[in-house]
Order: sequence, then C-alpha cells, then structure tokens
Amino acid sequence: MKRYLTAAAAIVAVGLLTTACSDPSITGPGSSQSSGTATVQWPDATASLSGVTLTIWAAQNSNTTPKAVVAAFEKATGAKVNIVTIPDPYEQGVQTKVATGDKPDLAFWQPTGSMLTALNAPTNLQPLTGAPWITNLNPALQDMTGILKGTRYAALITSPAVEGVYYNKDVFAANGITTLPKDWNSFIADARALKAAGQTPLFEMGGDRWATQWWVQVQLADAAKSGLWDKVNTGKEKFTDPTILDAIKTYKSLIDEGLFNKDIATANFADQGAALLSGQAAMVVQVNSFFSELQAKTDTATLNKKIGFFPISPSGNTGTFIPDQSNALVAFKTGDAKREAAARQLLSLWMGKGYPAFIKDLNTVSLETSVPSPATVPQALLDVNASLANSVGSMQALAVANPDLYIYLADMIQGTTTPEQVAQQTQDQFAQLAKAQGVAGF
Amino acid sequence: MTTRTHSLRRTVGSPPRTGGAPRARRLGVRQRGSYPASFLVPAFAVLGLFFFLPTIYNFVYALTSWSSFSSSIHFVGLQNFTDLISSGTLFRSLRITVTYAVLVAVFQNVFGLLLALLLERDTRVNRFARVMFFIPVIMSALAVGYVFQAILKPTGALNTILGDMLGHAVTIPWLGNTTWTLVVITLIHAWKWMGLSMLIYLAGLKTINDDVLEAARLDGASAWTTFRDIRFPLLAPAITFNVATALLGSMNGFDVVQATTGGGPARSTELLNIFIFRTFGQGLFAQATTMSLVLFLVVAILAFPVIRVLRKREEVL
Repeated sequence: MKRYLTAAAAIVAVGLLTTACSDPSITGPGSSQSSGTATVQWPDATASLSGVTLTIWAAQNSNTTPKAVVAAFEKATGAKVNIVTIPDPYEQGVQTKVATGDKPDLAFWQPTGSMLTALNAPTNLQPLTGAPWITNLNPALQDMTGILKGTRYAALITSPAVEGVYYNKDVFAANGITTLPKDWNSFIADARALKAAGQTPLFEMGGDRWATQWWVQVQLADAAKSGLWDKVNTGKEKFTDPTILDAIKTYKSLIDEGLFNKDIATANFADQGAALLSGQAAMVVQVNSFFSELQAKTDTATLNKKIGFFPISPSGNTGTFIPDQSNALVAFKTGDAKREAAARQLLSLWMGKGYPAFIKDLNTVSLETSVPSPATVPQALLDVNASLANSVGSMQALAVANPDLYIYLADMIQGTTTPEQVAQQTQDQFAQLAKAQGVAGF
Repeated sequence: MTTRTHSLRRTVGSPPRTGGAPRARRLGVRQRGSYPASFLVPAFAVLGLFFFLPTIYNFVYALTSWSSFSSSIHFVGLQNFTDLISSGTLFRSLRITVTYAVLVAVFQNVFGLLLALLLERDTRVNRFARVMFFIPVIMSALAVGYVFQAILKPTGALNTILGDMLGHAVTIPWLGNTTWTLVVITLIHAWKWMGLSMLIYLAGLKTINDDVLEAARLDGASAWTTFRDIRFPLLAPAITFNVATALLGSMNGFDVVQATTGGGPARSTELLNIFIFRTFGQGLFAQATTMSLVLFLVVAILAFPVIRVLRKREEVL
C-alpha cells in the first residue's frame, strides 16, 4: 500500500513540474514595455543617476576595454558600474546564465544575426532603435551589423574584424615579391614561389582549431556577395553543394601540397603569431585578434615595419567581415525601467561625448567620421578598417546559425575525416540549429 | 537488553555483530521508535531539492524543445532521442566515455594498490610519501589539466627531458595523437586520483589480522603467495569501493580532459560530458539535457552489475 502511495505521489510531483515547465529567462508580461517597433527614449548622456548600479559582462579579452569610459560615466552621472568577467568560453557562459534568468544590464556580444538569435534578442535584449550616435558613424558601418529582423540590438564600438591575409614584409622583400596578390590565384602562386625558395609560405593553427574556418570563408567571399548565405538559410543551398564543398577541398589540397607549416595539426594561436613575426612563416589568414596577439608581443614601430595586411577573395581583394564579441555591446531587458534607461545612457555617453577618449585609451581605429583615429594606431589596423567598406559578411554575420565548421575542419587536418564528411557534419549541425530556431525549410 | 544500552553501544562503537540476524532485526524494530521520523526531514529536503528535483527536470526537459532561440517550450515527445540516435555522434562519445572510464579504473587502482603496498609500513619516509601522493587528490582538476598540457606539448618539459637524455631533439605531440592521447589523459586522471585509492587500500591492508599473516609466514608462504592468496582476497571491500568510484566517477569525467585536450585531437577524446557542454553552448538546451539523461541511464545500468559482481567477491569474507 505504501509503495502505491509513493508511486502516486511521484506521478503527481512530475505532473506538477511539467505544468510549471517554462523558460526562466522570460520575464513577466508587465516588464516588457519596450517592443521592437515602439520608440525608445534616449536620456541625456550626463543626466544624474546617483543610486543606480549597472553591471557589464565582459570576456577575458574585453574586460579592460570599458574601464576608461565607465570611469568617465561614473564621474559624470554618479552611477556605479560593475564590470564582471565571465570566464571563457564566454558565449557559452553568457547563454547558460541568461537561460537561467541571470542577466546583466550590458554585455559584450558578437553583433551578428546568428548570435543575436542565440540570445533570443527580441525577448531578452533592449532594442536600440533611434540611437543618437548612429548618424555619427562612418556610413558604411551604420547598418553593417547589430541588426536582427530590422531591429537594432547591438552597439558597434570598435572596428569589426576582417578575415584576410597578414604577411611578413621582410620575407616578401627577401623573396622578390613586390606587388601584393590581386586575387586568389596570384595569392596561391606567391605561396608556391615561396615554398620553392625553401620558405614556409602559410601557417595554420590546427591545435587551437578556431582559425581553420577563415580559409574556407575567404574563398566564399564572391559567392557571399551574390547571396550564398541567403540560399543556405532557406535550405536551397547546402554545405555539401559544390560552392562550399569545393572551398573545403581546396583548403585540403593546399595542406596536402605542403604549403603549410609541418606542425599544422598541433600548432596553436601563440605559435602562429611567433612564426609570422619571426619570418618563419610568410603568410597567415586571420582576423583582428591575431593582430592583438602580435601587439602583445612587440611595439607599433616594429609591427609597422614588419607586418602588413591585405584582404583576399577568389576574384580580387574583398575582405570578409566578422564582428566579434569585443566589437559590440548589447543592453538587456532587465525589467527595471530605471536601469534599462541608465544602460542606454551609458551607451550614449560611450559613443557620444566619451568616444574620443575611449578611442585614445584603446589606441584603436575610430568608427566616427568626426573623431580622428590616434596617430599611434598601427598601419595594418588602418588597412583592415579601410577594407571594411568593400567587404562582405562571413558565415557568422550572414547565416542564421553558426555551426562548428572550425572543429570539423580541424578534424580533417588531423586526418580523421574527408572534405565530404566535413561538409556533411556542418550541414547536419546547421540544420539542427536552424530547426531549433524554427527557420522555415528545416 | 534494553534500548538504552543498545543505543549507548551504538554511540560507542560498531553495532553488535554477535547477536545474529534475527536479534539485530528485532533491535532494529525497537530502534525505530527511539528516533522520530521527522529527524529525516532536513536531510530529505536537501536531497530532494538538489538531487531528485533536478533529476526529474532532466527527464522532463529531455522531452521538450527548450532552446536559447525561442521563448516558448513545447513538448516534442521522443524526438530528441530519435535525432540523437540517428546522428551517431552520441554513440561515438559514449564509446569514448566508457573506454576512458575503464582505463581510468584500471590505472587508478593498479597505481593505488602498488603505492599502498610500497608505503604500507609506518615509517617516517612512508608517511611523508603518502602525503605527497595525496596532494594531487586535493588539487583543482583544471589546474592539473593545464599543468599536464604544458608538460606534454611538443615543446614542453617532457620532450625536453627526453631530448636531453637521448641527445637529440624530441617533439612527440603527446596530446596530438588520435589513438593514444585518450590513454595519456586517462593516465593523468589516474595520477590525480591514485592517492585516494592508495589511502583506501592502506586502510584495507591495516584491517587484515596479523595472526593470519603470521600463520602464513610460519607455513613458509612467500611474500607473493601471501599477497595473492591472503591479502588480495581480504582487500575485497576496498576493491569494491575503489573500482566502483573510479569507474562510475570517471564516466562523469570532464574537467581534466577539458583542460588538457578540450576533446581533441579530432574529437578522439570528446567525452559525453564535453559533447553535452558543446551542445549546451550552441543553445540546444533540450538536446543537451537528453544527452545527460542518456549518460545518467548508462551510469545507472553500468553501476548495478559492477557493484553486484564486486560485492559477490566479498561474500567469502
């Protein structure tokens, strides 16, 4: 008898739990007063905010970025701002916290459609419609990113990263390469010439994995311009179709040809930086964070002398942009109208009155036409920024989901999978993510 | 005998053994009256809140479409299970996880037992050595992982030492082999926990009656015969505990592997927990929950026969 009672109690308990089953990250209906279409109030940047405490989540590589701006904001408004570092892997940590209902006021976040979707932006984020600083931005950057289904959710604060080629100027000069490659074929021809001269032309970090995907993505720049990712997003084109599969095959054939470093399977990010700086390798396909790694290793004068950048695409020099987490901030719907307004106010100050000091403190390229970049910004960074105007979006920027292409490519480098398997695994994961999002056609 | 004297004896030492089963049961019945059942409420409340409730949620969410992409959660039945089974990745990770757990159980127990036998005598040096071998147990698993990652990388300390000994440069990628890296990380895991096994084996060895060993010695048994026929069988309870905790504990392995290889190379060390972590990070919360439910079931299915077989060995005692 007792046993039956226990069983009945357990069934009732499970039943009660299932009915209470809901996403804890959703706040009650009363708190979501601001919707995507409504107008958003932008308080004066220096209005008093005494007694208000804001929290900013940042990653290990972006937690010092807001320090100067935050200090200026605290001084001007009387608010208190806590910068909290979320350990790496940052995106997973933030998503997990948000899923359990834990939200900051502001957070660094990759401003791409797929990553805004991953945070469920319409539910969790404040729309930044009518942000006062947008018209100050370089026109090419105003609507480049941070927008999901017509609503702006992210504020771009620094120059978005671009996938392209970083090269060692000394190695090029020593091997008689005087003009930079004008398209993919001349780029590969230069690599082969360098190999023939006994130089390691290319360096890849198969051990740390994440940069492997740049090689495939830069080859897709032309296709991306003519709407490749729109087709992928609707299921009309797959990773297993020739466009993307051929790019993977080309990458594999270049590795098999011996154009890359011998320790490609184990080399890591730091090895890659050291190899390019020392001239042990001539070229590296990378993004801005690679240049930050070089900046950590040496000074601006040496970098200007030694390291150059050019974008590459099959038919020319189109860069592939990939804004990352350190480039932008999102503001959360916390349910507290006062703090939500204060978060917007901080962004106003950051991108308005505080912007010149912020750019100077970070020694980076300015996004605003009226604010000049500091004279001490390395040339390669200026070149990267200049390539943005003519660039095209990466998979992360334009696809609805962000599959682990880099992991599958790294498996291929280890020799356990073929290009066909890489394409299939990526497609399967993409479809799984798209289905979970409720994208039509999956 | 009254309840009072019995409870007194309980507080002083172990429960009476000589009384035999019927008497113990009789005492147990009487005992029930001496402690109010309400004393159990706090313990069960904690257990329910932090163990049963999450476990039940684990079952519930596995049947839903919970993800970071959508505000609403729908019931989807067994779809997560069918998707997982059809993809094949789950079985791959499960196979790696079971291999990992078995290897850890073997290495950790062999090392632990050898250390216990080596450090059995209570000398000053042995006491010091026991403390030293126990230190990895209380170290952070992530710290252990990162230290070994630095030692084992191609330009790391191990290759440098080997290179100095052999007189030429050694660049073996210890963590870069798709077959053997799994073995290397099980050795790291076993190294970290062998101090605990050692301690339990030492305790087991101490319980063996000196008279038995002396009798064996008088009969002319060699050290090896004594170990094989007397000491090892008498260690059965310690073996049960050590093998079961090492095997089932490492089924839930994550930290050491995440810090050393992160699941690489080519996902050859991607334990189920690392796969779950990666899936959760993609925002596919329901799928990740389904996988952890599968892990829970596999551990449960594995636990019963393993513990049963090991307990069976103890019956001779």
